[in-house]
Amino acid sequence: MRLRVMLFATYREIADAKELAWTAEPGTTLGQFLDAFLAAHPRLAPHRGSMLVAVNLAVADPTAVLHEGDEVALLPPVSGGCP
Amino acid sequence: MIEMTRRRIDVDAVLDSVRRDEAGAVVLFLGTVRADADVAALDYEVYVPMAKKVLADLAERAKAKFGVLDLSIAHRIGRVPVGGDSVAVACAAAHRREAFEACAWVMDEVKRIVPIWKSVPPRRVRRSR
Repeated sequence: MRLRVMLFATYREIADAKELAWTAEPGTTLGQFLDAFLAAHPRLAPHRGSMLVAVNLAVADPTAVLHEGDEVALLPPVSGGCP
Repeated sequence: MIEMTRRRIDVDAVLDSVRRDEAGAVVLFLGTVRADADVAALDYEVYVPMAKKVLADLAERAKAKFGVLDLSIAHRIGRVPVGGDSVAVACAAAHRREAFEACAWVMDEVKRIVPIWKSVPPRRVRRSR
């Protein structure tokens, strides 16, 4: 199945891309996807601990099962608003 | 009203969006870009579709939590110069206490959970002639 992977801020800079296509086996969980994706992008791996991951615009749990066409967003710690 | 905009925030529009006759208090919070050392502007990167969803949910939660009448949030995308408004939160309530509290709570949540990232753009070096 095909996934859209969105990257922001520092992750976008590290991966040098704001959006990447990814293919995974049906039934793949978010945790399994992250294992494979971070293996393919090792410079992002150290950030896993502080990484927030959203699936289709909602923060998701590593056990969540992914589906065809899902949008997975890797979100660094946020810092909106004003100082 | 929830708004993400690349243009200057229309503060009057944000205010007008919450005004109503039943309100005895309207509070407006503006977050502005501060002239910290080496800061001429801030860049705001936003995961827009998720940010809109989270902000809308925040506004609804604030209404339920504080019993305010209405609440609007506007946030900038892109570059905001020093002194510019990066976020506006307006809230109408029967009384001032809950209006102030709701605005403060919403701002704390914006900084905690909304997918927005700010960075300091590199300063342009002027070449001497």
